[in-house]
Amino acid sequence: MPDVAIALSPLVIFAITQHGLSALWILLAAVLSMVLTEYLFYQVLDRLDKKPFKVKNDRFTLDNYTVLVSGLIYGLTLPDSTPLLITIIGGVVGVFLAKLVFGGMGQNIFNIAAFARVFVVLSFGAAAAYVNFVDETAGATALGLLMMEPFTKVETYSFWTMFSGIGLPGSLGETSGLLILVGGLYLLARRSFDVFIPLVYVGTVFVLSTAVMLQQGIGFWYPLTHIISGGLLFGAVFMATDPVTAPITRPGRVYFAFGLGVITFVIRLFGTLPEGVVFAILIMNMFVPALDYARWSNSRFTVRSGLIFAAVVALTILSVMVGASYVG
Amino acid sequence: MISKMRRVSDYKQLTKELPHIRYVDPEKVYINLTTSRCEDYILNVKPGDAVRLGQILGEKDGCFFKQPIYSTVSGTVEGVEKKIDGTGIEVECLVIRNDFQDTYDASITDRPDNVIEQMSQQDFVDIVREKALVGLGGSGFPSYVKLATEEPIHTVVINAVECEPYLSSDYRLIHDQPDQIFQGLSYVMKAVNAKSGVIAVKKTKKDLINILEREVKRYAHLDLRIAKLGDYYPQGWEIETYKNALGIKVPSGVLPTKLGILGFNVSTCASIYDAVKHNMPITKRYLTINGDAVKFPQSIRVRVGTLIKDLIKLCDGFTDDAEKVEMIIGGPMMGQAVDTQEVVVTPTTTSVLVFKSITDKEEPCVRCGSCVINCPVHIQPVNIMNAYKRNDTLAMKQLEANKCIECGLCAYVCTSKIHVTDYVRKAKASIG
Repeated sequence: MPDVAIALSPLVIFAITQHGLSALWILLAAVLSMVLTEYLFYQVLDRLDKKPFKVKNDRFTLDNYTVLVSGLIYGLTLPDSTPLLITIIGGVVGVFLAKLVFGGMGQNIFNIAAFARVFVVLSFGAAAAYVNFVDETAGATALGLLMMEPFTKVETYSFWTMFSGIGLPGSLGETSGLLILVGGLYLLARRSFDVFIPLVYVGTVFVLSTAVMLQQGIGFWYPLTHIISGGLLFGAVFMATDPVTAPITRPGRVYFAFGLGVITFVIRLFGTLPEGVVFAILIMNMFVPALDYARWSNSRFTVRSGLIFAAVVALTILSVMVGASYVG
Repeated sequence: MISKMRRVSDYKQLTKELPHIRYVDPEKVYINLTTSRCEDYILNVKPGDAVRLGQILGEKDGCFFKQPIYSTVSGTVEGVEKKIDGTGIEVECLVIRNDFQDTYDASITDRPDNVIEQMSQQDFVDIVREKALVGLGGSGFPSYVKLATEEPIHTVVINAVECEPYLSSDYRLIHDQPDQIFQGLSYVMKAVNAKSGVIAVKKTKKDLINILEREVKRYAHLDLRIAKLGDYYPQGWEIETYKNALGIKVPSGVLPTKLGILGFNVSTCASIYDAVKHNMPITKRYLTINGDAVKFPQSIRVRVGTLIKDLIKLCDGFTDDAEKVEMIIGGPMMGQAVDTQEVVVTPTTTSVLVFKSITDKEEPCVRCGSCVINCPVHIQPVNIMNAYKRNDTLAMKQLEANKCIECGLCAYVCTSKIHVTDYVRKAKASIG
C-alpha cells in the first residue's frame, strides 16, 4: 500500500501545479476526512468495548496506508472546483458506508474511492451546478464533446494535451495519462498490483472502440481518444486494481477487467453520462463474489473456460457494433 | 508482491560447506514405539534386558502394516518414557542405556554380491519390509509398499533436490557417501527391473553435480542421468520433480507408479543399500541443526533415538542475544514447531531449526491473491481459509482443499503475514 501512495505522488504534484492551492485543499480535505472518520470510528468502538484509551489504538490502520490511499484516490477523482464541504461529506460517507460498516480493511465490497466519488456525483451533482460532473465541468472535456457528437473528431485538444494533461480540464489526477502510466510502471516494477487488470481493462475498451471505429469508418483517433481521456487510465491503474474489491484468481481478474471495459465503454457510448469508469467499477465489484464462487472459480484458465470467454468476447464486440449503428 | 515468486532463499550456506560431525554415542537412546499413524505396539523386551545393535525390540501395530522396531545401540533396556517426536505429538519411547560397545546382533551380516545378483523383486521387498525402511524425506511412508509395485517401472527417480531452506542433511549425505546412494539405486533398479535411473538435483548445487557426474561414470553399465532442476520451491515435491526431471505430468490423485515412475528420496536410497548389503536397519542419519539462534549451526551424523537436547548442547546452545526461541523439527516451510527440547530423533527427522522468536502482527487479508498465484497445486488457499473460518464444508470440498500438499508457500508469500497453510491444513483435516 505505501507503493500506491508513492505511485500517486507525481499525480498529486501535477494536480497542485496545474490547479494551484485549490487542489491541495481538496486533496487534504479528502484524505483527512477519510482518515479521521476511520480513526474516530475505531476509537468509538474501543469505548464501546470498554478498552482503555490509547492514542494509537489496535485497529489504527494508518500504519498500512490503506485509508490514506483511498483518500488520495478519492481526492484525485474530484474536479478542482469541488467545494470543500462536499469533499468532506463525500469522504466521511464514503469511508463509513463503503468500508467501516462492512468490517474495515479487507472486508469492503465496493471500492471506497469509487463509492465516495459516485456518492458525491449523485448527491451534489445538481446542487453544485455541475452539469457534466462525472467527468468535469470547468470546460467541456474530450469525452463531453464526444458525448454530444459521438463520432466527430475532437479538435479542441491535441493528443499530446490529452495524454500529458497539461492545460486539460478534468479531475485533479485523471487528466495526465503520462503520469498515471509512470505510476503504473512503478507499481508493476514493485509487483504491487496485478498487471492483468489494467491491461485487460484498457485492452477491452480499445478493442470495442476499434470495432466501433471500423463499423463507423472513422479514424484511429477514436479508440485513442477513448483510452487517453477521461478516468479510464486512472481507474484502470489505481481503482480497479484494488485487491480487496477484485477477484482472487487470475482468470477471475481477467473476467472482472473485461466486464469493467465493457461497462465503461457501453456507458460512454450509449449512456447519458460522458464517463463511466467509477460506475463500471462499482457494478463489477458486485460481481466479485460470483466470480470467486467456489463451484466454478479456478486458479487457471482451462480450455473450456477459455473457449467460453472467447465466445463471450466475440458476442460483445458484435453487439457493440450493432448497437453503434443506432447511435448518432 | 502480487506475482509468482517461488524462489525461496535457501540459507544452506550456513551448514552445507561444513563437514559433518559425528555424534553417535548418546548415553541413552529413546526408540519411538508409537507414531502418529500407529498407536499400538508389541514389545519383546522388558526393563533390564540386554539388547544388541540391530536387534528386534518389538513391532509397531495397529495400522495397515506391521513394522519391526530395531534397537539402534547395544545396551540395557531401562523402560518406557513419553517423549515428543518430529510430528509434535507425544509418543512412547523405549529407553536403552548405551554400553558404547556397538555389539551387533547376529542378524547383521553382509550379503555377498553374488547373492544380491540372484534376488528377485520379492526378495528386495521382504528385506525392505523386514528392516522397516520408511521414506526418509519426511513422509515416513513405508518404502516396501512403493517397492512392491506391480506396475511396469521404466524410470527410478532419486530425489536429491532438498528444496527446503536451511536443510543440508541430504547435501552432506551425497557429499560424503555418494557410493551408497548409487548402490542403492542400482538395487532398486534391479528390483523393479527399471531401464533408467534419474538423480534429480538442483542445478545451483554445482559441487554435488560434480560428485554425481563422477559416480555416474563409475556406474556406466547402468543407464543413469542427472536431472538439473531449477532453484525454486517446492521443486522437491514428488510431482514437481517428475514434471521437471522427466517431463511427465502426474495428474492429481494418480500414483506415479501407474505412469512407470518410482521415486525415492536420496536418504531412503542409501538406507536401502544398508538394508540390502549389510542387513542394517536405520540406525544413524544426517541431521542439520540450523537457524539464527544457534551458536554453531552444523550437520551431524546422529544415532536414531538421540534427544534433540543433546544435539543443541553440541552446537554450543542458543546465541546469547536470543531471549526467546522457536524450534522447528523439519524444514521451515513444512516443519513442525515444538516448544520443548525433549524431542527424539526418529528416522524421518531431517533437521532441527532454532530461530529467534519474532511475532509479526497478522494483518487482515486484502485478497491480493499471491497465495493463489503461487500455489503449486493450483488451489485457492485464501478461499479455503475463508471457507474454513465460516465452517463451510461444501465450499472446502469444492475448492479441493484435499489437494493441498502443505508446502507452506501460501503462508510464505502472504502479504498480510497470515498463517494460511495452517488454515488450509485444518480445512483438509476437517473434510477428511
